[in-house]
Amino acid sequence: MKENRRSLKIFGIVFMTILTLIMFLAFMPGIGVRPFGEISYRSVPTDDYYIEHGIEDVGAYNIVTTVVFDYRGYDTLGEATVLFTALTGAAALLLGGRHHGEK
Amino acid sequence: MERNDIEKGGMSLIVRTIASILLPFILTFGIYVVIHGHLTPGGGFQGGVVLASAALVVLVSFGYRLAENMYKKYKTLYSPLEAFGGILFITAAAIGFSVAFFYNYLWTSRTLFGGTPGTLWSGGMLPIMNIAVGLKVATGFAGVLALFFIYTYRKSEGEKP
Amino acid sequence: MIPPLQYFIALFLIVAGIWTIMLKKNLIKILIGLSVADTGVNLLLITLAYRNAIGGAIPTAPIYTGYEKGMIMVSPLPQALVLTAIVIGVSVLALALAITLQIYRHYGTLNVEEIRRLRG
Repeated sequence: MKENRRSLKIFGIVFMTILTLIMFLAFMPGIGVRPFGEISYRSVPTDDYYIEHGIEDVGAYNIVTTVVFDYRGYDTLGEATVLFTALTGAAALLLGGRHHGEK
Repeated sequence: MERNDIEKGGMSLIVRTIASILLPFILTFGIYVVIHGHLTPGGGFQGGVVLASAALVVLVSFGYRLAENMYKKYKTLYSPLEAFGGILFITAAAIGFSVAFFYNYLWTSRTLFGGTPGTLWSGGMLPIMNIAVGLKVATGFAGVLALFFIYTYRKSEGEKP
Repeated sequence: MIPPLQYFIALFLIVAGIWTIMLKKNLIKILIGLSVADTGVNLLLITLAYRNAIGGAIPTAPIYTGYEKGMIMVSPLPQALVLTAIVIGVSVLALALAITLQIYRHYGTLNVEEIRRLRG
């Protein structure tokens, strides 16, 4: 057991170092993929459309709510299904086996 | 509540009194966050969690005997409420099915929730969807928390869980 | 030059969560590590939504309040996705805790290595 634990620790340290190095290189202002705060010209048209035409399409002041419930309603439907399934599974686990010991 | 509630898992008299005083304020704030989802930050999910925390305050301070009695009395009410929330969400989404699936029918024809943007009676189908999701989240989390409580205390008392 | 501070904190949370999942033997500690890693990923997603100030405008939250005279709004799309991710993380944690309760009732211990040895 001791050798298993020690080799797992060495693998863990190497993995974390590689992860840190990748994130460091990806977000550095000089050679990074996209500097912090700059707009990336592939997603600006969508964001500008949501902010400009949000009120006249949906009629609400809260732009995040219009994105969640109107422009991207399918994701909210999937999330409601996941919530319902997980809570039903937890309730079935905690209530089942009531008459386990008797016959 | 009787005098010897402290042996059944409840807390002292001061905690019970303060919880009873704070309960209407928490419920009012939760309903406010759910209904005004299209004007202020918030919406269905955040308001539902606030309403579930009101149920948690009652559970922790009053003990598990009260939770068990309430669960036996209202057991046939939680499941239909949660299902009603889900059905209301899907129905509100499928009304404008002739154009698209999530078409905002009530705003583009200005019938029920079509006022000037910025007031309460505006936003099309957004208040209906907010209320449906808030109902679903609140009853779901309150029910699961009550079940955790009853399971743990029943097991620690020696009864069959 | 080094990246801004928000990336470091999100990275620290993710690394701490994955470290705990790999190297701990108690089931409850593994679940805590899962929740911490979930929080780190949500923080990283929100940090990517920032926009710098263009001209003299100050970046603000994407909601119309009537006071946006010289302000610019940040991107509202990652915030909607993070809202979904938070709720899904909480549901998965509730189901995992219910399974842990049943494991403890059946095996009598919470040590991962002993559960792997006993069979039924």
